[in-house]
Amino acid sequence: MRVCGVSVKDTTTLLLDEEPLITGNQTFSSITEKISGIVEGETNKIWFILLGLTSSLALMFFGSMGFLFWEGVGIWGVNNPVGWGWSIVNFVFWVGIGHAGTLISAILFIFRQKWRTSINRFAEAMTLFAVVCALIFPGIHVGRIWIAYYMFPLPNQMAMWPNFRSPLLWDVFAVGTYFAVSLMFWYTGLIPDLATLRDRAKTRFRKMILAIFALGWRGGNKQWKNYEFAYLLLAALSTPLVLSVHSVVSADFASAVIPGWHTTIFPPYFVAGAIFSGFAMVMTLAIIARKVYKLEHIITVNHLEKMTKIIMLTGMMVGYAYAIEFFVAWYSGNVFESFTFVNRAFGPYAWAYWIMVSCNVIIPQLFWFKKIRTSVPIMFVISILVNIGMWFERFVITVSSLANDFLPSSWDYYSPTVWDISLLIGSFGLFFSLFLLFIRFLPMISIAEVKGVLPQADPHYYEITKNRSRDE
Amino acid sequence: MKFDATTFKLTEFKSVQKRSLIIGILGLLVTAVGYFINTDQFFFSYLIAYLFWVSIALGALFFVLLFHLTGTIWGVAIRRILETLIKILPILAVFFIPILFGVHHLYHWSHVADVATDPILSKKVGYLNIPFFAIRTAFYFGIWYLIAQKLYKTSIVMDSGATIDQIQKLRKISAPSMIIFALTTTFASFDWIMSLYPHWYSTIFGLYFFSGGLVGVLGFMIYFGLYLNKRGVMNEIITVEHYHNLATFTFGFIIFWGYMAFSQYLLIWYANIPEETIFYLQRSQGTWSILNKTLVIGHFAIPFVGLLTRNSKRNFTYLKYMALFILAMHWIDLYWVVMPTLHKTGIKFSIFDLTSLIGIGGIFMWLFWTQFGKHAITPYRDPKFMKSVKHEVPYS
Repeated sequence: MRVCGVSVKDTTTLLLDEEPLITGNQTFSSITEKISGIVEGETNKIWFILLGLTSSLALMFFGSMGFLFWEGVGIWGVNNPVGWGWSIVNFVFWVGIGHAGTLISAILFIFRQKWRTSINRFAEAMTLFAVVCALIFPGIHVGRIWIAYYMFPLPNQMAMWPNFRSPLLWDVFAVGTYFAVSLMFWYTGLIPDLATLRDRAKTRFRKMILAIFALGWRGGNKQWKNYEFAYLLLAALSTPLVLSVHSVVSADFASAVIPGWHTTIFPPYFVAGAIFSGFAMVMTLAIIARKVYKLEHIITVNHLEKMTKIIMLTGMMVGYAYAIEFFVAWYSGNVFESFTFVNRAFGPYAWAYWIMVSCNVIIPQLFWFKKIRTSVPIMFVISILVNIGMWFERFVITVSSLANDFLPSSWDYYSPTVWDISLLIGSFGLFFSLFLLFIRFLPMISIAEVKGVLPQADPHYYEITKNRSRDE
Repeated sequence: MKFDATTFKLTEFKSVQKRSLIIGILGLLVTAVGYFINTDQFFFSYLIAYLFWVSIALGALFFVLLFHLTGTIWGVAIRRILETLIKILPILAVFFIPILFGVHHLYHWSHVADVATDPILSKKVGYLNIPFFAIRTAFYFGIWYLIAQKLYKTSIVMDSGATIDQIQKLRKISAPSMIIFALTTTFASFDWIMSLYPHWYSTIFGLYFFSGGLVGVLGFMIYFGLYLNKRGVMNEIITVEHYHNLATFTFGFIIFWGYMAFSQYLLIWYANIPEETIFYLQRSQGTWSILNKTLVIGHFAIPFVGLLTRNSKRNFTYLKYMALFILAMHWIDLYWVVMPTLHKTGIKFSIFDLTSLIGIGGIFMWLFWTQFGKHAITPYRDPKFMKSVKHEVPYS
């Protein structure tokens, strides 16, 4: 071919010359077999053990909630200055976890990142379950659970309305919308795979159920065309939601006048932190799943390496926010601002602050080394440390600012009670139980999309391979 | 101007180069008159014009770093234009000298007597003082020089046969450079703009300035690419697909800018702390409120709607005007941030706002053409070059 009069070697390489994303010479049929097999085959023993464990924790979660409703929020460690304790910390933590799914599905889709196909399905599922966990916490925080519906702007005979100017109400809308759109997006992505499972179903009952949810998918050209357009539109709708949800969550803090809460960088800073923790959670789950179900060919080390890079990047964004906050606290010349930040780093909560800094900023720097980026055990450990760090970040923000505010006479130290701890651990139980149920009953990797990134999916695949073998 | 299709170099561009220089000198001369007529006005107009061009070059630096880090394919074809911008970024340090001379006119914190009686400002003396201010700026430009030099040189070396080592080297330079870029740009914006109101502070301000610069460089790239194409330069290399991508990025960063602007506004409005609201209060005085609305509509709503569809991103005439419009909005954004310090009661446009913009712009473009003409104007030996040229934007 000639460009500007210069002859250049034909570069019709397309997908062929790129390093394949999926290794092990997979074919369309081997992909279908592999992923459907997990859902259709015998239940893995490890799965039963894990579900037993996580569902007991989930039971503890519900039990603790029951006691909370009976006794009231006094069972928590919240005290007079620290009115927001672990419950809010957990809420922000879980909403944050819920960010990676939609980021991977929507934003990486718009950026045409093909490697997302191996991880997007279960990341989206994880998003949904994390948001479920997240929504529980503000719900139970109202204390009188039977009037939780006050949070919604429902017309009522008392003519009582929530405060529309309150970011807490925006939260209801933002997280609710996010959940609804994420669910829709996840389900839309599932349709072709559900049809695949339907066609493979052995029993009539199974076929019927799957047929209902596959919405009459036949895989025709027209259907694909409409489907892909719908997918693009949903991706475009979800993209601003990834940013808006955590921005609104950040406004819960930043719209207040508490030093350490009120700072203008909060919205982008919270979003970066959310993606950071969400990716770390996806990584933790992916590493376990690929090991247990032998998916190393589909979720390759290459995929994981790309994720480590995003974790490193977002970790540094969070680090940037820490640094700028600290600097501006001094630069502001405001004694309360500078006190708050010095107090965070060297005051009674210094231990939490330094856990946060080490786990979020310092440890991810190890990913500069290729050896560590490709070492699965090390990245597994780091991914867990990141989530520990991100939990502590929310703890530091929520508690340290409240515990030592403007009036020293009202200062107090916050310590959690056993119920705080049981609710946090219990929420992990619920999260993992839902996730385990998901990987048992639905294809955890998108069959249709993974096929789309195989070399065979290139329309010129057979033509080019034939020509090449002839040339050789 | 002509394009040599064998060496990928620009020829016969001397006239446009000369024209830029003449316009630049004339612009600066007229602006210099302003110094004697209205010194304050002169310095403020100059600062805005300076920030406008520097922010574009900084935006270019971001994109070059981003391209190397992500291993872009489509961006290779347009990379040399961006690289030329970053190459001249350090030279802009020279234009900072008048700002140093005008520091007393521009920056309230430079008046030692006033600062001594101000309890808040006297706390900031350690940071906001003239020597440290100058040293910091020198440091920013020094470090930008080092980064730009490395990136530019390596890319030029690739023109005489690229090896995988160079591509890896570029990536290795870019990773730490991105961190340095983030910090230096933030602090530069704190120093040059935020400290115009030394009492005021906003942690998001660095990101706000950065997002404006990205919008600016994208507007520049679209306009400049089309300018070249119109003269038959690189028509086969920068294709409609590249404009589509540039316009998509513009669309994205318009939203990004809007997000930053809105985050800052919402949180300051909501908390209603006097030391912070002063910034927006000043901008709602008199005719300034017109610019508030202009920015919401012009810097966000119009480009948002205007770049939403696929067709709009692929129509050259339309894109040309959109790019110009976005550049104008970027200037208005800087004007809106800087100028209320001087004209507290309302907008007072001055001829020097325009002449300084043209003056610095002329010299900027002269430097640009000089550099642009020295080497191939597209990295044609980059291994991904052909793929970049043939790149197509998929339908979904």
